Amino acid sequence: MRTFPLSIGTPDGLLYEGEVERVKVRSITGDLAILAGHANYCTALGMGEAYIKTPEGEKKRAACIGGMLTVIDGECHLLATTWEWRDEIDVERAKAAKQRAEDELKRDNITDKELRIAEAKLHRALVRISVSE
Amino acid sequence: MAANMKAVKLRIKSVQSTMQITKAMELVASSKLRRAKERSDNCRPYFREMYKTLSSIANSNNDFSSVFTKDNGVEKVCYIVIGGDRGLAGGYNSNLFKAMEADAKGKEICVLPIGKKAVEYFKRRKAEIITESFGETASVHVADCFEIANLLCREYKEGTCGKIKLVYTEFVSMLSQQPHAVSLLPIVDLKNEDAKEVIRDLIIYEPDSTDVFNAIVPEYLAGVIYGGVCDSLASEQAARRTAMESATSNAEEMIEQLNLHYNRARQASITQEITEIVGGAEGL
Repeated sequence: MRTFPLSIGTPDGLLYEGEVERVKVRSITGDLAILAGHANYCTALGMGEAYIKTPEGEKKRAACIGGMLTVIDGECHLLATTWEWRDEIDVERAKAAKQRAEDELKRDNITDKELRIAEAKLHRALVRISVSE
Repeated sequence: MAANMKAVKLRIKSVQSTMQITKAMELVASSKLRRAKERSDNCRPYFREMYKTLSSIANSNNDFSSVFTKDNGVEKVCYIVIGGDRGLAGGYNSNLFKAMEADAKGKEICVLPIGKKAVEYFKRRKAEIITESFGETASVHVADCFEIANLLCREYKEGTCGKIKLVYTEFVSMLSQQPHAVSLLPIVDLKNEDAKEVIRDLIIYEPDSTDVFNAIVPEYLAGVIYGGVCDSLASEQAARRTAMESATSNAEEMIEQLNLHYNRARQASITQEITEIVGGAEGL
């Protein structure tokens, strides 16, 4: 299968640079996959599972949260706020974060801002847990 | 002569203690620099990619339905100025402010200072400050950058400012740091002036350009601000290290000179004493 160059960047560094067969991510509207020869494209990423398929046929799964994906002149750039490979996810921490967020959401006197933050935290924790399972 | 000797000795002592301080500060700065440089090296690819991608979008974009892409007609420029937390870093802070003033000349401005020195400077200049809650550059993390980005997006959407620019110090090398003012918003400002009139490629925006830009722009601002913060931090430590290094070597030079003075004075006083004794003996 044809491959195309992909680079995955986060504020903590460049996590992947090289050829891939396919990249699948969750955008703000739903899942999508990019294959070689895609037209120029730009979308914003939501929170969800993502994977890349290397030319060797290996499928590497990751949790991807926020960011953008662009294809310009055949090159794909994926800039994510956080991108964690499956084997790097700290499940215990994600579970603890999920518990904390749920407790927070049960509180009566929660403000709008706190509610938004707690919801985002819960969402992120759920994504991490679902990817690692 | 004796009084002169004492004065020189005191001066040597005071210079020595100053040298001790500058030497200690140099060591502290170099260890902090190593950490700051690592962080800045880590996030630079993200920062670069982000800016490059947005510039290429600006170059080929012909969809101006989002508020972030086109000029909104407001003249006021909002400057995000990333300064240092402390002084004693050579010309680090003053160079930064000079670059900012040069860029802001004749424009109506408001600022969002990051770092204690920047906050103090703009307070003194009585500039319009959006928020001064980011008083310490060293403690600004990704989450804070998102907060800043959201705040700026809100201001931009409401039309309080028409352009957003970032002023930070680029870490070129250990010995050279360059202050820069870069445009962040609107996205048309990112266009490469000297790029030839390219045939405009069409970009597919999914689901549509307004939604994409609304989601991307805060992300982009936060990423670029974070990159600027990391670079500025490394620059500050490098500038401080260089300043302290030259201060230490100046102190060493000074001590050498003073020692020479001291020895001369000592010798003169001995000579004088001998002359006096000889003169006295002859008088007997």
